[in-house]
Amino acid sequence: MSPALGLGDYKSPLKPIWCPGCGDYGVLQALYRALGAVGRPPHEIAFVSGIGCSSRIPGYTTAYGFNTVHGRALPIAQGVKLANPDLLVIVAGGDGDGFSIGGGHVPHAIRRNLDLTYLVMDNQVYGLTKGQLSPTSPRGLKTVTSPLGSLEQPINPLLTVLASGAGFVAQATPADMPGMTALIEEAIRYPGFSFVNIQSPCITFGEEEQQLKAHKSRMKSLASLGHDPGNQLAALDLARAYGTELYTGVFYRNPSPPPTYDALVRLRQAEIQRGEPRPRARVLDSYARS
Amino acid sequence: MDDLVVGLAGSGGDGVVSAGESLLAAASSQGFHALMTKSFGSQIRGGESSCRVRVSSRKVLNPGGVLDVAVALNWEDFRRFGAELPIGPGTVLIHEAKAGPPPADLAPAGRMPREVVSVPLAELAKSSAGTDRAKTTVVLGILSGWFGVPKEGLDRGLQKKFAQKGEGLLDANRKALESGISFATHHPLSATRVLGRPAVGGPKMLCDGNEMCASAAIFAGCEFFGGYPITPSTEVMQILSRELPKYGGVVLQAEDEISGVGAAVGASFAGRKSMTATSGPGMSLKTEVLGLASLAELPLVLLDVQRGGPSTGIPTKPEQSDLFQAAFSAHGDVLRPVLAPTSVEDTFRVTVEAFNLAERYQTPVVILSDQEIAQRKETVEPIDVSRFELVERLRPTPEQLAEGYQRFADTPSGVSPLSHPGMAGGNYLAAGIEHDARGAPTASGAIHAAMNAKRFRKLAPLQERSDLFETQGPADAPLALISWGSSAGVAREAFALARARGLPVKLLVPTLLYPVAEPIYRAFLASVRAGLVLELSHQGQLYRILRMFVDLPPGVSSFARSGAQPFRADEVLERLEQQAGVLR
Repeated sequence: MSPALGLGDYKSPLKPIWCPGCGDYGVLQALYRALGAVGRPPHEIAFVSGIGCSSRIPGYTTAYGFNTVHGRALPIAQGVKLANPDLLVIVAGGDGDGFSIGGGHVPHAIRRNLDLTYLVMDNQVYGLTKGQLSPTSPRGLKTVTSPLGSLEQPINPLLTVLASGAGFVAQATPADMPGMTALIEEAIRYPGFSFVNIQSPCITFGEEEQQLKAHKSRMKSLASLGHDPGNQLAALDLARAYGTELYTGVFYRNPSPPPTYDALVRLRQAEIQRGEPRPRARVLDSYARS
Repeated sequence: MDDLVVGLAGSGGDGVVSAGESLLAAASSQGFHALMTKSFGSQIRGGESSCRVRVSSRKVLNPGGVLDVAVALNWEDFRRFGAELPIGPGTVLIHEAKAGPPPADLAPAGRMPREVVSVPLAELAKSSAGTDRAKTTVVLGILSGWFGVPKEGLDRGLQKKFAQKGEGLLDANRKALESGISFATHHPLSATRVLGRPAVGGPKMLCDGNEMCASAAIFAGCEFFGGYPITPSTEVMQILSRELPKYGGVVLQAEDEISGVGAAVGASFAGRKSMTATSGPGMSLKTEVLGLASLAELPLVLLDVQRGGPSTGIPTKPEQSDLFQAAFSAHGDVLRPVLAPTSVEDTFRVTVEAFNLAERYQTPVVILSDQEIAQRKETVEPIDVSRFELVERLRPTPEQLAEGYQRFADTPSGVSPLSHPGMAGGNYLAAGIEHDARGAPTASGAIHAAMNAKRFRKLAPLQERSDLFETQGPADAPLALISWGSSAGVAREAFALARARGLPVKLLVPTLLYPVAEPIYRAFLASVRAGLVLELSHQGQLYRILRMFVDLPPGVSSFARSGAQPFRADEVLERLEQQAGVLR
């Protein structure tokens, strides 16, 4: 057993590029705490992200980070996990990375059910490119690319992920740091694909009602509503309120998590390899003619 | 006679391809060299089909040109494959008697076969085997009778094919075979042509390029494959899906091409040798992630089995038109090795080399195969795998890990030790963003320039890899033939013919297409005044790339055409003779 790890063990010397007041600072702090609570040493953690403000986050940790290309964090993370299922694999990105350019990968990552934790920092706007419409921007939002107001209905990340069959779905906000820390920790500990939609305010381009101050007055914990996280239908119903209500907590946790894809792959390999190990040098034998 | 090229065409259910496979298996089991290509109509299953089989007592370099024997089960289907099954005056044309004599316009004037044999195939099959489904077995009997295709081999093939299907079916087909042999005996050809026995008739392997590539990947230590089905590379994923887990590896059929290559890059980041495979359209989709692998300096092998393009193009036919894409499809300054196999057998060596380069230089490497090599079945001499060296990526030493490990250290060779998750002390940030030696993101122009220089410097040794170039012929020859990929098999035959005619020619076949090894071309071209660059693409992509990097003598021209129809050795010879004329 390695000596007890503290928050400092997960903090890298790199200084975040985020604007002062960005919600992502809170996410980072909560993540340090959650990782400290889980206790895996940083070198056993692979932290994969896409592109965007929030996708810079792996570099601010001491884990093995991989800041990849826009929208492809989930496929790359699945390769990492399948290559070495012993690793703790965390994936992070923004709403654009996950639900716009990378949206096609989300249902597939979920249906495969690798043991990954996917943290989306959802700020309903493109921050890195300075304030364009995002897939979760509310209808009617005026931005530099929707000067007369958006005509599009936003995607609902919670419903999308729930409907795809994710085993753990939660929502958090930096307005409730202890709550967010606990949710990230729980997501990491969930054996299977887990998703936390983090309403992380963009201080520079975000709307007033999406700032921390507004979050504090708007947020309602699902626990306080008496929601049973084992009830998938109730979770779907509550998730419909995305964009109007700010619910925090666990929408759904599969009470009996099925075996993960990576675990099943391992099992199969063990079955196939039982008996004598196959020497790679004899791979051509099956083509040899007698 | 030491070479026999047979082509067959028929409709679905005629068993044309199955007959070709039997012929191939019979030949290979008796120590002959053989090669088979198939062509189908556009239906997914059933419908017309054709195949051509080349059997030889010598090593077979390509599918051959004009057929020695053409077998038409009906004229409509035979005509459909006119391009794949070219006939000439020297072709023996066998046709189903019921189909009637060959239509007058079957071939242009002067190209009509002189010897046309009408055979009541269905009738013979029915009277001997009791079913007209055995008519292609009758054809095999005729080929055996006329050309000396060993009957033992054909019989073995029948046993293998029909053993499981019941004694009755095997017996029936044996009778059909005898009936064909008897037909041949009673209807001799105007001139006897018997296939000579091979000089060295040892047992051979029988496989196609995709099988060879998958096998080589396993041998080279591939532990992860991520991909998406696409013709004509899909078989690689299928074979690895079945085989790789037996060796402890994992295959992921991803939701799209991007995800496939993404997972492979992720697995490489996690420390595993990994691979993806695709064809042109998929290669286009994978491009961005390839750039990531270049910048993050992660080993990766990508197989692109080329087909007719652009876009969907002709998915079932070969073309060599992805070279520009393989070499240049990247934003930013990127150098990515591109290798091409020239035959099924060569695919093994090239695939192992691709893994070795990827691991040694921490870079994506593209293997450019093509539909012909990937899907043609060919006899291959047993491969002594012990002669291959296998390269592992440079990993940090315990000392390096203990004292402030720098993932992207700017070393003299340009290669920096590569850690992976799970390795204590090796923690770093891999990124598509420019970074300093430790991996910290940077926008510094100076660091960017130094890192670009490092990433290019590490590949500089490729300039000296003469072992990745095949040369034949006298060093001082003024005439050059340069070719790559499947066309190189035709070039080798044309070169041998040209030498036999006394042309002062030499041959260059690069395995390494990109980066262009300038010193190697300069040395080869020093004596050259005229020549050809032979390849199957409209633009002549290798020719164009060579002109970019090398001072090609003005007498060297491009002999290139759009894909689908491979070159024939005789037409290449003809062009070489014209080029030789320029020398005078």
